[in-house]
Amino acid sequence: MEHTIACHGCDLLVDLRDMEHGHKACCPRCGHSLTQYRHDAIERLMAFSIAALVALVFASLFPFLSFASSGVESVMTLPQTPGSLWRNGLPAVAVLVAAFIIFIPALVLVLLLMLSVPLARGRYRPWLKPIGRWIFHLQSWSMVEVFIIGVIVSLVKIAKMATVTLGLSFWAYVAFALLFTFAMSVLDRYQLWNAIEAAEGARG
Amino acid sequence: MTEAKTARELNLASCHTCTKLVPADQHRCPRCGSSVHLRATDSLQRTIALLITASILYIPANLYPIMYTDQLGRTEASTIIGGVVLLIKLGSVPIAAIIFIASVMVPLGKLIAMFYLVFTVERHSPLEPRQRTVMYQITEFIGKWSMVDVFVVAILVALVNLGGLLVIRPGIAALSFAGVVIVTMIAAESFDSRLIWDEMENKNDNRPA
Ligand SMILES: [Zn+2]
Ligand SMILES: [Zn+2]
Repeated sequence: MEHTIACHGCDLLVDLRDMEHGHKACCPRCGHSLTQYRHDAIERLMAFSIAALVALVFASLFPFLSFASSGVESVMTLPQTPGSLWRNGLPAVAVLVAAFIIFIPALVLVLLLMLSVPLARGRYRPWLKPIGRWIFHLQSWSMVEVFIIGVIVSLVKIAKMATVTLGLSFWAYVAFALLFTFAMSVLDRYQLWNAIEAAEGARG
Repeated sequence: MTEAKTARELNLASCHTCTKLVPADQHRCPRCGSSVHLRATDSLQRTIALLITASILYIPANLYPIMYTDQLGRTEASTIIGGVVLLIKLGSVPIAAIIFIASVMVPLGKLIAMFYLVFTVERHSPLEPRQRTVMYQITEFIGKWSMVDVFVVAILVALVNLGGLLVIRPGIAALSFAGVVIVTMIAAESFDSRLIWDEMENKNDNRPA
């Protein structure tokens, strides 16, 4: 177990011994947040990841928004959002949007489960280390909360043109965004890698 | 802790992935297997190259239309700024402010802030390291919020599709603007903020106790 870490923001060495549940450590020199200790972090990661994945499935299945004007209606689903960009000649933007709002967050959640399920039982698995390396790069490219703001802005932009209705999938996506944010707030480099090291050390 | 010390002063490098402290002459972290450096290699050069790329992309992102509205045979093109003006005309000042901040102020502010940080580190400026670190952290945090305008275009294009009556189509600026956001995010990631503090240890008398 490591007890000293160097601040990622300024390289100052900080001692992290004796942290209590819920206690958050920040760098005394530059204020960068270092870690937050929770004794049930792994269980929380697992629970939030499962719930967020279920919400994402719901968000993909039903109408997201519908738009009606002069008796004509058009309905949008979540997968159609990047899909229409693709059909309108912007495949690169379509791929980016699909990645930022669906595929990267979904992949992060699946990888979190691959980490948290064995770690919750203290088991070591050969994929723990590669995933532990990649997950932090991936998570900074998830934009679920930005997309929610995008939906709200879009609603205001077209509210005067026609009647817009929020569909079931919109609410499912809001739930997904919240659960995803909770999962990310529990994911912590220092704690995760101490858990991986402990599992490796306890291996048969 | 008797006196504040940095990892570098003890000849240790911190692993960016798992936070383990590794002797500075080792290049691979024994715990997680990532490559380890005292400071990110070529951080400044890479950051500058990315910042210049983003600045160039920023020009077409603002000159070309980000979306087209076809209403009853009439096509109207709107740029990012045009969209903000339209929202103000519609009376949605708060939303206009969100889009203005996310699409104009944040990308421009990010570019200026990052150029400033690179410039001060390059000049070995000992100026306000704490404030500059906060500036960097804000820059890193808000980067992705600029994607809001691209998402708005994606949503409107998917949603507003009423045949000959009313159709919204995306414009090429959506591509360049997405480029600006992504390239500035990578620039912020490749900047090593510990460089800001190194100047303080070089002037040992300034070190905080
Ligand atoms: Zn610090
Ligand atoms: Zn490591």
